[in-house]
Amino acid sequence: MYERFFTAASTYARDIDYLILLILVCVGFGFIVAEIVFFGFIFKFRAQDGVKTQYVTGEEKSQKKWVSMPHYLVLVLDVLIVIGALKVWSDIKIEMPEPDAKIRVIGQQWAWSFVHEGADGKLDTADDIRTVEELHVEVNKTYHFLLEARDVLHSFSVPAFRLKQDAVPGRVITGWFKATETGTFDIQCAEICGVGHGIMAARIIIDSPEDYAAWVKKGGPTAFWAASNVKAPGAAKAAIDAPTPTLTANNAAPLPQ
Amino acid sequence: MLNLGTPKKVLLTALLSASTLALGCQQPVQSDQARGEVLYANCVSCHMAEGWGDQKIGAPAIAGLPEWYIEAQLLKFRSAQRGSHFDDIGGMKMRPMSLALLHERDVGIISAHVAKMPPLRKGATLQGDAKKGQGLFATCVACHGPTGLGNEALRAPPLAGQDDWYVVGQLQHFKAGIRGTNPADVSGATMRPMAMVLADEQAMRDVAAHIQTLSK
Repeated sequence: MYERFFTAASTYARDIDYLILLILVCVGFGFIVAEIVFFGFIFKFRAQDGVKTQYVTGEEKSQKKWVSMPHYLVLVLDVLIVIGALKVWSDIKIEMPEPDAKIRVIGQQWAWSFVHEGADGKLDTADDIRTVEELHVEVNKTYHFLLEARDVLHSFSVPAFRLKQDAVPGRVITGWFKATETGTFDIQCAEICGVGHGIMAARIIIDSPEDYAAWVKKGGPTAFWAASNVKAPGAAKAAIDAPTPTLTANNAAPLPQ
Repeated sequence: MLNLGTPKKVLLTALLSASTLALGCQQPVQSDQARGEVLYANCVSCHMAEGWGDQKIGAPAIAGLPEWYIEAQLLKFRSAQRGSHFDDIGGMKMRPMSLALLHERDVGIISAHVAKMPPLRKGATLQGDAKKGQGLFATCVACHGPTGLGNEALRAPPLAGQDDWYVVGQLQHFKAGIRGTNPADVSGATMRPMAMVLADEQAMRDVAAHIQTLSK
């Protein structure tokens, strides 16, 4: 049932989900026990005729245990959470699997742009495919992403992957992911970066190997965020309704010499 | 048992509460002018309160530009004809802001609002030879007019009064294919070969220097 409500499209998405579930269970267990004891005491020691209020110093053993036992319980629960968190941290942030491909992800106010390997399978070469607002990856392939920021702090967030990584100007931060299912998912900025932060969005399109190969062969992206969803009033409507493929280095006309 | 009164009273109270709630939830009817001012709040952080732009962050002056031109550019940004090229750093900043206009009607309202704002002439920021620029400007005259006031029928915006740094920047974008190469951008495609006529950045600066001499 849990899986039905939370899409998980990367190899480590469920690890993070289960870690959050572990935290929820541990903290929830502690909360319920504390509330039962709290309300139990309120009921048991409620005002009664002929019974004077006691001043409890908490020095007697029978009283102290109500302080020390919850402490031990919290410690045990904390250790459980720390063990789970360290394992997930190590698996995702420390151990970086060998990449099948690399992509460059660039954040700027207020857009995401991406550089994909071209047909030569190498990044930063002439046949790279450069896109705006649209990241294409192949399913079941391990990607290393090289994350940069052009201006201020951003955060590359792909909720379906449970991936969130800050982008810092002047630094290239490497991370990884492996998509497990095809489809289109949101990319968003998760670090306040100015007035347009809330609308700094893009899409990740996870293709089958065949579709991805066809996309690379075509050498360019399709118009994801094209005119079809924007109805324009007035004289410019005809031009707006026409297909508007995103430009890339590959389809821009060469400069005159 | 709780006494709520007669059924009639209960019904009347419920109706009154519902109508009060409905009135409270209703958005006040705004005039286009008031709505324009509200919408412009999103533009202030870059284009400034007066619409005179800010060179430091590459935001051009927009105050007093024709309504049809502002509307056309906003529609281009919204449909990714502008602001979707990998190297168009400023354009990519503008595109999401254009998409922040939620209703089609707002595009027209904000365009009318900006068109009514008084422009400001800020003077030259670049060094260029206006005399040489005058010769080069001959190519531009057919669309933008001899006085640079533009021509709506040809979708050519006014150039007179525009900041020189923005003119040069856009000429570079047209020449490099950052602007005007989207197949749907018809007016941009007209401009691109014109920008290619200018041999180098100095020629662009010369044209911009000449445009500075044109009075709006």
